[in-house]
Amino acid sequence: MNEEQYLLFENYLNNDLNFEEKETFENELKSNNEFAKAFEIYKDLNGYLQQKFQTENDLSAFKQNLKTAAGTNGHKNGKIISMKQAFYALAACFALLFGVIIFNNLNSNPTFEEYYSKENANFAERGDVIKTLKQAQDAFNKDNYQLAASLFETVLKSYPRPEIEFYYGVSLMQINKYSESEIVFNKLIQGNSAYKNTAVWNLALSKLKQKDYNSCKEILKTIPKDYEDYAKVQDLLDHLK
Amino acid sequence: MANNIHADQLYIDGLAKNDSLIINSVYKKFVPKVIHYIKNNSGNEDKAQDVVQEIMILLFNQAKAGKLQLTCPFDAYFFLLCKRKWLNEIKKISNQAVTIADDYSSINESEQQLVEQTEIFEQKQLLFDDMFAKLGDKCQELLKLSFTIKTLEEVAQKLNVTYGYVRKKKSLCVGQLTSLVQETNRYKSLKIN
Repeated sequence: MNEEQYLLFENYLNNDLNFEEKETFENELKSNNEFAKAFEIYKDLNGYLQQKFQTENDLSAFKQNLKTAAGTNGHKNGKIISMKQAFYALAACFALLFGVIIFNNLNSNPTFEEYYSKENANFAERGDVIKTLKQAQDAFNKDNYQLAASLFETVLKSYPRPEIEFYYGVSLMQINKYSESEIVFNKLIQGNSAYKNTAVWNLALSKLKQKDYNSCKEILKTIPKDYEDYAKVQDLLDHLK
Repeated sequence: MANNIHADQLYIDGLAKNDSLIINSVYKKFVPKVIHYIKNNSGNEDKAQDVVQEIMILLFNQAKAGKLQLTCPFDAYFFLLCKRKWLNEIKKISNQAVTIADDYSSINESEQQLVEQTEIFEQKQLLFDDMFAKLGDKCQELLKLSFTIKTLEEVAQKLNVTYGYVRKKKSLCVGQLTSLVQETNRYKSLKIN
């Protein structure tokens, strides 16, 4: 199968062929078995790749839910909890629940954990930098922020890119190195990359994490309304009042 | 086709949506039978849990791909899948003596067909995974970008090349995968509809 043919498959799937080309293509599918078979695989692979890359995060969430379900159904290692244990567990849950409710009523300020939502890093760089960057990415995605921060720092020395700086800043914030993370976010805020507004949002979150509610509020107010996650900004502003 | 769908399709849809209530009810209603079977057939609790987890992930993937329409009760389908997976496991480690109590009869045609489809889906995924790993780094990266970033225009922008170049490259990489897949006997032995 030659290159032209694969490009033709691609164009057909993207609906980029004109009427005549499309008709020729479909006739070829009917009359040429080899052509049809190759196209079938090509189409199948497209679906497979789409799923592989687009449901990566969903899949890991699903696996997490499986673990929980296996655990709550008493299957892990064949341990089935007794009624007595179940009673105490239930009692503890209630105690915790009341505790949380009372605590929430006393302390109604929003928390960092409520507003921070993790976005996994997903770099596709080339060349020598790739190895350390991939390690940093893995560490970040596995919540090992200490390691991620030092690896991102190394990468940035020879390969400064806004995307990497952003994840470096988040890693620093996660390990409570606030002043350092805020320097990184501020640099992004002054720049013009796609991470500009996200950096402002994260700077505000950093203040929230430090319970510096006033600064958090002031920073949030600087985020333009067309920011893609503005709903979250507004929500946090409402809760900070 | 649509009116043949079994009411238990709700389990499949629930898995695809990662609905924890549905996942929980699968564990409550259907998993104990599988555990019991595996324990009575040379396995143990941990091995049974592994089998269940693998099948659940397989169903998740197949449902996500929109290729799973249940035409029989979930119970029978799920049990048969787990059972066959376990029997295959045993075969792999068959230097150990095994005793299999195979008293599960009464399989109807639609269950069998459905199980077969799921198994083909699994083999295809494994084959595609293996072939993807054989691609060069550049193709792997380009494909990853092409399928994670919304449009090829944005991919082109990110890589600082033209749209036409990205599209051509993408088609060549998927093309390369296509020929890798075609060359294997594994693909030929799959019964593709």
